[in-house]
Amino acid sequence: MKAMPTLEGGLRLDTEDPSDWELLRAIIADAHTPATDDLAKRLGDLIQEDAGAADWEEYIVPDLREEFQDELAEVGAAIESAIVESDGKAGPIWITPENAYPWYSALNQARLALEEQFQFGPTEDIDPGKLSPVRAAAFLRSKFYCAIQSLLLEYVMK
Amino acid sequence: MADTVTLPETRESTALDVPWNVIVHDDPVNLMGYVTWVIMKIFGYDETQASVLMMQVHQQGRSIVWSGEREKAEFYVQQLQAHQLKSSLEKAE
Repeated sequence: MKAMPTLEGGLRLDTEDPSDWELLRAIIADAHTPATDDLAKRLGDLIQEDAGAADWEEYIVPDLREEFQDELAEVGAAIESAIVESDGKAGPIWITPENAYPWYSALNQARLALEEQFQFGPTEDIDPGKLSPVRAAAFLRSKFYCAIQSLLLEYVMK
Repeated sequence: MADTVTLPETRESTALDVPWNVIVHDDPVNLMGYVTWVIMKIFGYDETQASVLMMQVHQQGRSIVWSGEREKAEFYVQQLQAHQLKSSLEKAE
């Protein structure tokens, strides 16, 4: 997969093989971690009792959950649409400045969920060759998502 | 019958409300540039100020990024969490 900034201030991703689409679809799949509490709940759990934890759980967490789901749905739809436009073959997908944040959010949700599941911690010293196949694949996906996030931050969002 | 009149008496007292701190906590996922960007966006701080706070989060595990009235603190924490930053509020000591 190739990624490059566009003249319009966005980012273009070029899949080089039809299987690259599966990597993009994995963003949405990774963001959902059925084995653990979802992101909105985990963030809500940081609020202490004397700071209004019960109200936070009742009023704020559902709003956050909906917001995160909407962002995933937007990115998921964009990926499926790009696959259809490319007829399932290798092709481009554009991230415009207007939808850069939902993309960043979806990638972040995926990375946070992978971290919650696999507990990689700081990644500088991790050798994926020493991880189990499942952990290594998750680690490499997380690194790929991180690379796209860095490009979004540098070329689109700032 | 006694000649007495009851006079109402009111007293006013003013006490400062305890401020609330907005805390951002470190995590191994959010990129440093993103944390800086979010702090700038939500609080309107310039890049230098936001970078100092981000580095506090990174090096000390947490940073007080704002202090003030509770309602506003809750609003800011909601905004930070909407941007997926680990954040909370606590009474200032």
